[in-house]
Amino acid sequence: MSKVKPSPLPPGTLIGGYQVVRKVAAGGFGVVYQATDAEGQQVAIKEYLPASLTSREPGELAPQVAPEKLSLYRLGLKSFFEEGRSLAQISHPSVVSVMNFFRENDTVYMVMNYLEGASLQDFIIIARDLKQPKVFRESTIRSLFEEILRGLRIVHQHKMLHLDIKPANIFITDDNKAVLIDFGAAREVLSKEGNFIRPMYTPGFAAPEMYRRDSAMGPWTDIYAIGACIFACMQGFPPNEAPQRVVTDPMAQAFKRLQGIYSDNLIEVVQWCMALDPLARPQSVFALQREFNSPGERRYTRLSVGDKVRLQFDNMVTGTKKTVLKATGPSHKV
Amino acid sequence: MKFSVFQVSRKGGRDKNEDRMGYCYTSGSAIFMLADGMGGHPDGEVAAQLAVQTIATMFQNEARPELPDVQAFLNNVVRAAHRQILRYAMDRAMLDPPRTTLVVAVVQEGCVAWTHCGDSRLYLIRRGELLTRTRDHSLLEHDLLKPSALQPQAPKNRNVLFTCLGSPTKPVFAVVGPVSLQQGDRIMLCSDGLWSALKEEDIVADLSRQPVDVAVPELVEKALRLAGRKSDNVTCLAMAWETPDTFESTRGSITTDSILDGVFASTVQGGWLDPDSDDLDDDAIERSIAEINEAIRRSSLKKKT
Repeated sequence: MSKVKPSPLPPGTLIGGYQVVRKVAAGGFGVVYQATDAEGQQVAIKEYLPASLTSREPGELAPQVAPEKLSLYRLGLKSFFEEGRSLAQISHPSVVSVMNFFRENDTVYMVMNYLEGASLQDFIIIARDLKQPKVFRESTIRSLFEEILRGLRIVHQHKMLHLDIKPANIFITDDNKAVLIDFGAAREVLSKEGNFIRPMYTPGFAAPEMYRRDSAMGPWTDIYAIGACIFACMQGFPPNEAPQRVVTDPMAQAFKRLQGIYSDNLIEVVQWCMALDPLARPQSVFALQREFNSPGERRYTRLSVGDKVRLQFDNMVTGTKKTVLKATGPSHKV
Repeated sequence: MKFSVFQVSRKGGRDKNEDRMGYCYTSGSAIFMLADGMGGHPDGEVAAQLAVQTIATMFQNEARPELPDVQAFLNNVVRAAHRQILRYAMDRAMLDPPRTTLVVAVVQEGCVAWTHCGDSRLYLIRRGELLTRTRDHSLLEHDLLKPSALQPQAPKNRNVLFTCLGSPTKPVFAVVGPVSLQQGDRIMLCSDGLWSALKEEDIVADLSRQPVDVAVPELVEKALRLAGRKSDNVTCLAMAWETPDTFESTRGSITTDSILDGVFASTVQGGWLDPDSDDLDDDAIERSIAEINEAIRRSSLKKKT
């Protein structure tokens, strides 16, 4: 098999009555194009084109699938349909919406509304490079996640889990709306291309139960990721991976460092979401929303002198590590 | 635990590969499995897959990180795999259930224990010699070919098996071990496609002489070549036991000491049995697309009202 990625459709190509404007993104699972429909409306089109299973010469329309990869290709196609089926049922401003689904060029296409803006990950990277004590203001974080939680609640109401919530999958549009994107049940399949089933998760955002396939996943699994995203908005970096937290939890220190900068309530909510024991987390988005939206004076607990000294000492040790992280910032996938 | 492992399965001259193999491990235990779905009955590959998958799941559930009782586990998994196959047949009201052979080995606390059913084999090789191998549950290997008082007519087919998984009679099997392992020991599991094509001395010599990631593909290639165009499916999985830290790792060996508790690695892929995945033909694709578009239409209507 050649390692060459299948080439994307060139600008101007007509597919299913839409005209490709440009390639926006390419993942392991397919290519996303910006396109226009017959009325000139902007849309995003996701093409099913798993890079590891298909090939396409420049200028060709239909991808080629090697016979021995056909069953995996079909399996992936099923997941692609699953994603479409899930999203089709949901119509909420905070969840990316599917407008059409069609078959052409021996593959399938999912048409979604085109979002202009940037991912939360991009915003975090820009904000943390300003080197302020606060990466985002608390009010920004609160209003952002209130929106996300409204969308996530609808997702859970449809008996679906996102299972890969992370700043890269939260899109902030230019008119300041937060939208959950990339509902790829697809991930599941692509991980099977190798010899091993690698449970697919994003380190730092994946709940501990995602590392052990036998334990039950539920709304609390997405809620862990929400907590991790809020944490990333506060600290500018993803939290420690769940397995690292089991013995001595380095997150305890990290939370302490945020004390006095963000309100006690916000820190407590994040700690609640990120409890290692699934049962110790909010069991539903509703439960989380109730706590999150509860009005009340924001209290800030200042660090005691002893804590400050300890943190300073700790900073000297970890300071070097942080600069390395910063240097590799943009390429460091959040 | 430290070991290197390699596995290959090839279709040979058959239409499909009905052999299944796989291994899983935690920080304290490892399991190696091979099943050969039987021809002459429907869905042999399903039976083999079900067996391997069932056992992998049970291993994952019970090895935390060690199995509390290896012998009991081996006894349980064979029966459970057998039941899963029968359940599959029952759900589909099949008159003739699918069948498979099975060989499975567990390595834990420096010892290996195994069991098998049918004519898929396990070879245990130490210092260039065959220490032991499983006896096939075939008439030939159990010396049942001679005419006897009960069976005056000698059976014609020497390779006929008298037990397997999925048949209406319960599988006959025995758990062997634990046998303590020594540095360099090789455990090899293979389907009849491999052993029937090669001489036993050659199998032993090849495996002892070379690292498993060289020997296994070579053995499989050799078997395919010798069996020619009509070759059966050929599947081989071998592991070499390494005593931790006696000397620097040979290439690509697996050290389970570094993996965290609760982490589970597996080559067994679930979900393959989903009958729809292979039936996703043109009609099914069109149907799915129509369903999705219908759902889109419904939810956009909801939005308007």
